[in-house]
Amino acid sequence: VTISLPLTTLVLIGVASPAVLFVVLGGASLVNRPLSERWTASLAGASMTTAFLALVLALAVYNPSSTGAQLLSYGAWSATDEGGVAIEFLVDRLSLAFAALSAAIAGVVSAFSNRYLHREPGYHRYFVLLAMFVTGMLFIALAGNVTVLLVGWEFVGLSSALLVAFFQERPASVSNAFRVASVYRISDAALVSAAVLLDHVAGTGSTALLFGGAGAPAAVGLTGTTATIIALLLLVAVVGKSALLPLSGWLPRAMEGPTPSSAVYYGSLSIHAGCFVLLRAAPLFEQAPPARVLAGVLGAATAIFAGMTTRVQSDVKSSLAYASLTQVGIIVVEIALGWYTIAFVHLAGHACFRLLQFLSAPNVLHDLHGIEDALGDRVSGHRGYLEGLASERVRRWLFLIAVERGFLDSIIDRFVVEPFTRLARFLTDLDARLCDAVLPKAGVVRVDGIEDQDD
Amino acid sequence: MDHRAAAAEAGSPDHPLTRVIDRLAPLLPAQGPLSIFIHHNTLHAFEDRPFEEAVEHAARQLGREPFLSESRYRDKLAAGRIRSRDVEAVIVEHLGVRGDAALAGMVSRLDLWQAIVLYGFPAATGPELSWILQETPALSRFRTDVPAQARAALYSFGERADRAIDERRAVRRLWSACLDAVSRAGEPLLPPAAAPVRHRDWLHAVRDIDTDAWIHPPLIRFLAGYLDQGLAHWSMPERHRGIHGCFLEIYGASLAAQCGAWARTLPRLVADDRAAGRSALDSIANSLAALGVAEDEWPEYLGAELLALRGWAGIVRQIEERPDRVPARELTVTLRGYLAVRLLCERAALDEAARQLRFARPLAELRSSLGSALPRRPVPTAIERAWPLFHVAQLCGVDVSIVDQWTGRHVEELEAELQELDGVRRRRILHQAFERTIRYRLYDALGHHVPQAPPDAAPPAFQAVFCLDEREESFRRHLEEVEPACETFGTAGFFNVAMYHQGVTDAHPRPLCPVVIRPDHYVAEIEPEGDDFSGRTRRLHRRAVGFLGYNVHRGSRLPVRGAVLMTAFGWLALVPLVLRVVFPWLSARWSRVHKTTTTATRTRLQLDRQDTAPPIGAYSGFTVREMADIVRRVLEDIGIGGRFSPLVLIVGHGSISLNNPHESAHDCGACGGGRGGPNARAFAQMANDPRVRRQLEAEGFVIPASSWFVGAQRNTCDNTVAFFDDDLIPSGSQPLFDRVQAAIETARRREAHERCRRFDSVPTWYPPVAALAHVEGRAADLAQPRPEYGHATNAFCIVGRRTRSRGLFLDRRAFLVSYDPSDDDDGAILARIMAAVVPVVAGINLEYYFSYVDPTGYGCGTKLPHNVTSLLGVMDGAQSDLRTGLPWQMVEVHEPTRLAMVIEAAEDRILRVVQGSPTIERLVRNRWFWLASLDPGSGRLSELRSTGFVAHTPEHPLATVVGDSAAWYQGKGGFLPPVAIVSGPGGDVGQVRSSA
Repeated sequence: VTISLPLTTLVLIGVASPAVLFVVLGGASLVNRPLSERWTASLAGASMTTAFLALVLALAVYNPSSTGAQLLSYGAWSATDEGGVAIEFLVDRLSLAFAALSAAIAGVVSAFSNRYLHREPGYHRYFVLLAMFVTGMLFIALAGNVTVLLVGWEFVGLSSALLVAFFQERPASVSNAFRVASVYRISDAALVSAAVLLDHVAGTGSTALLFGGAGAPAAVGLTGTTATIIALLLLVAVVGKSALLPLSGWLPRAMEGPTPSSAVYYGSLSIHAGCFVLLRAAPLFEQAPPARVLAGVLGAATAIFAGMTTRVQSDVKSSLAYASLTQVGIIVVEIALGWYTIAFVHLAGHACFRLLQFLSAPNVLHDLHGIEDALGDRVSGHRGYLEGLASERVRRWLFLIAVERGFLDSIIDRFVVEPFTRLARFLTDLDARLCDAVLPKAGVVRVDGIEDQDD
Repeated sequence: MDHRAAAAEAGSPDHPLTRVIDRLAPLLPAQGPLSIFIHHNTLHAFEDRPFEEAVEHAARQLGREPFLSESRYRDKLAAGRIRSRDVEAVIVEHLGVRGDAALAGMVSRLDLWQAIVLYGFPAATGPELSWILQETPALSRFRTDVPAQARAALYSFGERADRAIDERRAVRRLWSACLDAVSRAGEPLLPPAAAPVRHRDWLHAVRDIDTDAWIHPPLIRFLAGYLDQGLAHWSMPERHRGIHGCFLEIYGASLAAQCGAWARTLPRLVADDRAAGRSALDSIANSLAALGVAEDEWPEYLGAELLALRGWAGIVRQIEERPDRVPARELTVTLRGYLAVRLLCERAALDEAARQLRFARPLAELRSSLGSALPRRPVPTAIERAWPLFHVAQLCGVDVSIVDQWTGRHVEELEAELQELDGVRRRRILHQAFERTIRYRLYDALGHHVPQAPPDAAPPAFQAVFCLDEREESFRRHLEEVEPACETFGTAGFFNVAMYHQGVTDAHPRPLCPVVIRPDHYVAEIEPEGDDFSGRTRRLHRRAVGFLGYNVHRGSRLPVRGAVLMTAFGWLALVPLVLRVVFPWLSARWSRVHKTTTTATRTRLQLDRQDTAPPIGAYSGFTVREMADIVRRVLEDIGIGGRFSPLVLIVGHGSISLNNPHESAHDCGACGGGRGGPNARAFAQMANDPRVRRQLEAEGFVIPASSWFVGAQRNTCDNTVAFFDDDLIPSGSQPLFDRVQAAIETARRREAHERCRRFDSVPTWYPPVAALAHVEGRAADLAQPRPEYGHATNAFCIVGRRTRSRGLFLDRRAFLVSYDPSDDDDGAILARIMAAVVPVVAGINLEYYFSYVDPTGYGCGTKLPHNVTSLLGVMDGAQSDLRTGLPWQMVEVHEPTRLAMVIEAAEDRILRVVQGSPTIERLVRNRWFWLASLDPGSGRLSELRSTGFVAHTPEHPLATVVGDSAAWYQGKGGFLPPVAIVSGPGGDVGQVRSSA
């Protein structure tokens, strides 16, 4: 693999500038010296612009005809005989395009947030998390091995949950953030398992070997059951991150944060991270037909479910969340069918378009009045065509399912959360009882402030 | 069956439950749909009590804040926004003769109150107090922030080297003396704790089970879906049956039990209601019986039930009362329907809670079975009782020897005093002092201000009539500074033209008048040359844009159409995105250019009475008689007095901004949350009508033929002023019109400049041109949550001749209403002005007050997570109660103070007018706004108190600034006190002179 110097440098600049932003802003927070709004905004603007320009240039410099994908290595953090943790970026048209798109969208959102969050007490914290998120997205886009992918994945997940809980004083937003975080943990666990298994089987965590070309997985003997298991684990990770069925319940709950964060995560980038990993892992999935079929089925089911649910949502953010999910489901189907280029174009177009829609969600009253005025008639009061096909009884039924969002949350609550908490409570009780039995009773320590009345 | 069900939900007025619900409903927020925002007194239901009592009572009942927090007032004390002499004056007035009584044999009540209110003490109990005692120097040093004489009394130890040890010893002695004193006193008096009301409150207090958290999410989804005005593509089926009937249809399926663990018994309860054929009221009665709520407990129980989700319940009530204000008028929306559904869900949830608690008896016995387990309020410990006494002793400079002599009676006396002067009372006093400072500044400014010489007989160069809105104060001031030869007026911005107006490009007519009026007249804007080629092209273009917008809006939410759209054109969204977010000013320019290709070029208002039936209201257009009455009334109100300039501008206002669900809250209050341009235009057209002028002339009210009226609308957000029908201006007046336009152009630039001083993001060095570009960008900026500050900082209302206030810098804080007392001997004009003005200005002022003092309780919190729902209101984030009131971004620069209204009229005339109107009388008597008289002859100011008018003694001097307004405000942030601005020689511009 030959590496052209400018490309290496450009990619490094592209990834490093949001990472540096994250370190600077986060460091300022750590030492309790948050930067002023003006400084934060300037730094964020400069960093996002730099990243975007560098990645666009890299895309221009990159020459696909030479070798296909290139693995850029930036040294290792630790190296052992059996491998190690290396910083490697995989560069091809797909990864550069997705990285450039992420940087562009992040730039727009950061410009938006600068004014939208003006005078907000959490302004600085928001930008720390945004920088963390952008770094994570670029890591995911350019990941050259599973470690880099995992770091990016975690950055995205953590910042996502923390932004859902942005308004910490509101109980609803904190509990919804917990919900999001727990689903993300399932997805993270699946990804880690896939990475470990991959390392175990193929002796390497390199996505280059895994994703690099049609023959790569076969070349390291990654076929059959093993390929299927790894692909299934990856699929679980994707299902959690992209809110596919049956884990879709968290998506509308994630609308608790400020509008721009909802937009960039659940309208635009984070929701597509799963799709992107599927695109990357397409060669692996080609070796694992059952996983591929399952992905297609889940995608289709999600698209149908979300398409039905979005029709009845009466608040603008839930409506947009399920509309996004509909498209995400379709993109997954396209990937499962092997239409990779279409899927990517669809993904990129959707990310841009939905971002605009989410960012202007508060404008919906203004927009609909404008449309009504231009059309000269009310927009409301329509009934969809499809609903008319069902009988009245079935229609009521479908409506109930749609308005209750497929009862997904209550089903998960009943069959997963409740047994789990019951187990946890049982263990806590057991623990307490055991301790009580073994340990002597301790007296209650009370401080009342008068013991030392006179020295 | 359907009709029977809907009819049953209509309910009977005699049912005891109907009466209970009707009595409770005013407790709910009275905010209607968001797209027609009407400012109203948030605590309208409490207006029959005095203001202070009302806000404190409401705070307890609704769980809200009555005033700002004590620390905020203390900050204002430190910053000089509140003066200590104001605090002292308020306390003296508050205590009256009680102030002289000596307490605990040591200090007068007045001194004690003053010391506590001015200096305060850190209230602390339990672990917090322990921490303070252990970890802070509270027990080793005396407080340093105490009155001087107290300090002198405490610091009896000398300036020696071991002073610190001495001081420590003295403090400890005082502390133990306080503890000893407490031990001599009897048990503390405890106010009884309020018992929980609803089953859920009991469960929550005793077992930490919150059934509301179970049922609210599905209930909100159901309600939002039911009330939806067109956001969802597929609207809820069976909506014609009413809320309760629809719920029974949809949630009767056994599938509904899947809504959550709580919903296990819901299908059974629903089926039971259906089988018994219960109406909503019957269902409520049945549920209450099942819950064991006796009839005498209904008001309390249902009140708590309604307040649990008050925003949604409130919008239900609003739609029930004014179904004409929402698009989906075919819906049956009733509060009783909502309550019936709510109670059904609640019973299901309580069944589940009972199951979890293994409680097998009927729900009716649940509360009594929990009764014994209610945690009791802790009795204060000796330390907790000694802590306030310790501070009282320090604040009053009481020596330890005196504390040693306190008997139990003394301690109890002091504790009773502190209970009366609790946190809320301290805040009340501080708030009153705060208002006093602000109010007296205005009184003194008006008292000191030398009215500009009354204009001589010659009419001014031109005249301009604005809305009374306080945002026009600065505009008028700048216009007068630019064109000293002009004269301005203020009146309610619907210019007495109450109408439904439908513009050429409007899909629906919209009422443009104060909310208390239901207009009879319908006025359409028409295109006289609409059928020519360009007219047709524009219409086609408009339709095409609408069609495209509609299909993108819907298509993006559909699977297949969406996929095609996103794949093929999705990336195109980057263009508007970058333009609107990164270059908003540019996009404002572009959309203005684009608009010229879709809107009609030349239109007229169809004002004449037509025989055709109007789409809404009783009549199409006005008769000449009606027009003449309208014109005469406004011109009399403003006291124009027969002096007409060749051009008279009539300027309405509105506000256009992006990404702002509360856009309509920035529009004209007198137009019921609409834009007042059409009213101004209609008024001007009426006043120019020769038939109207002939009619008026016959009645002896002459408008000279040389005068011409021009309607206009000012956009208070981007500061553009658009003129209507300016092609009709007589050619003779054209040069004058050019001059007017130039003056307005300068004024709007300067006004934008003054307005920008309140925006943190605008550097102070910005020149007026840049400031104007900035506000234009703000209006078109997708990312801007505060396009303008609206009515924030409003505090005053001045009713009188402009000469009284012209030249005063009032910092955009004063509603200005023109009124000439010399032409109104019987007070009839004042009475009708007050009737129109008071509800509007008091509503605005009080809504800002409450949204500021409790931004998340009375207001709707920060805008950032707002989620527009059902096209009716906003929720926080994914799902929440419907949030009413104003967002923090609108009110953040406000000062919560009741309106101080100064009327230039004799005291007895004001009293007569007030007593003539029950609603105004109630507001004035209970001091929901302050009322003062400015005597037209002597210029003497007196304020209306409970005892009648009391002459005002000046306290603040009025400074004079030479130059223009900018000379005073340039480079300054925050609130600026009123000053007199006099134009002077260029040499000493900006110089501030003080005059007493």
